[in-house]
Amino acid sequence: MMNDSANRRGPLLLGPLESEVMAFLWSAGTGTVRDVVENLNRKLAYTTVMTTLDRLFKKGLLDRQKSERAFLYTARVSHLDWERQRAGNLVAGLLSVSQPSRELLLSSLVDAVGQHDVNLLEQLEEKIRRKRKELSRRSHE
Amino acid sequence: MSLSYTWRLLCLCCASFFVLHLAMAAATRLSAGTALRMAARMKASSAARFLFFLRIAPMALAVFVLLAFCIPSYLWLEPDAAGEKVGFVCFFMAALGAAIWALSITRVVSAVRGTVEYLHRCEEQGSQIQVPGEPSPALLLADEAPVLAVAGVVHPRLVISKRVLDGLTEEQRDAALRHEQAHRTSRDNIKRFLILLSPDVLPFTRAFVALERSWAKFTEWAADDQAAEGDSHRALSLASALVSVAKMGSKPKLSYLFSTLMADDHELTERVDRLLRPQPDPGKPAEVLVPFLTSAGALLACAVGLVMLWPSSLSLVHQALERLVH
Repeated sequence: MMNDSANRRGPLLLGPLESEVMAFLWSAGTGTVRDVVENLNRKLAYTTVMTTLDRLFKKGLLDRQKSERAFLYTARVSHLDWERQRAGNLVAGLLSVSQPSRELLLSSLVDAVGQHDVNLLEQLEEKIRRKRKELSRRSHE
Repeated sequence: MSLSYTWRLLCLCCASFFVLHLAMAAATRLSAGTALRMAARMKASSAARFLFFLRIAPMALAVFVLLAFCIPSYLWLEPDAAGEKVGFVCFFMAALGAAIWALSITRVVSAVRGTVEYLHRCEEQGSQIQVPGEPSPALLLADEAPVLAVAGVVHPRLVISKRVLDGLTEEQRDAALRHEQAHRTSRDNIKRFLILLSPDVLPFTRAFVALERSWAKFTEWAADDQAAEGDSHRALSLASALVSVAKMGSKPKLSYLFSTLMADDHELTERVDRLLRPQPDPGKPAEVLVPFLTSAGALLACAVGLVMLWPSSLSLVHQALERLVH
């Protein structure tokens, strides 16, 4: 899990490069600065990536171990846990308002979730209908 | 603190269990990420089996070492002295061992009581109907809540609410019942019981949440595969049954010892998408008792063989226990 200082800062926001670096480490598991530089979609200086990795380490999002002459970086939190933490922080931030506003926010949130569920179920039904048609067409051919 | 022979044995059992379990549970927790990645590449039934064994392995191995080595070595080699001093560390670890067991047993008792009470209520308020393929009459509830589940550990019973029975087409109902029968065949409720019984690493911690959540997901997928039997039409009927039941509203909060059609609403999209893809060969039902008993038998045979071929192994264990006590 993230260290306390990272947790206390509230909603943790990552810059575009930090997000790219984290995405690489979540998919690869571990990596050195060179691995990250070679696998990013854009060309960046070694020192830029090194500074970013160091910043992420200080934020408590990465672990590092000395391997020969380079640091080997690993994500300290899984992608899912990170997203969960971010969502939790977002909701906590939304609800840290006065009581009437909080109730209004909650009721809007419940409405939105309900509407989202209805839309989602309709989308799933549509997918099933399409698949059924496809199967019946295939069985007639 | 000075304890008698029997109390010392009890204290040692708890402390040894705690130490053994802590080591194995920590190793399991550290390897959980790799195990989950491996499970994602397996067939659903194999992944469910693999994660289940991983989850209960710390408890099973710790109990095995305790019964096969620690207790015999104490009973054979410890002199029946009037009383002996037990160190604070041993006492503290015994307390932690007792605490993790007490919490597990409380969880199990609460889940069993919840299941029994729910089934009693269903028997009193509902009626019994014959469902093809079910060994005992299913319980039909007049509830508005959408319920379709297999409940209970030893003799699981099908519980279905009238809303689900009337709200699904014949094909959907058939597919949904096949899904529940797959849970029964795989003895998923016994696995749930054993997972509840398996202690966590330390009291009041939840180190195995990701493992348990993934096990539950793969269990549902395996039951889906068994229900579809590789037939796309059946898979489609099951997918549409899932969506229809989801549209009936939120289900009541049921005990952990229920294998329901809709275990977790969050997994619905993933399950439906999976059912709409070409259907894999379901493989064998995720059987648990035969491999579990085979492994236990093999381990026991190894332990007996080890003690017979190398009798001093018990005295080594006894020395370790002596260190633990003092």
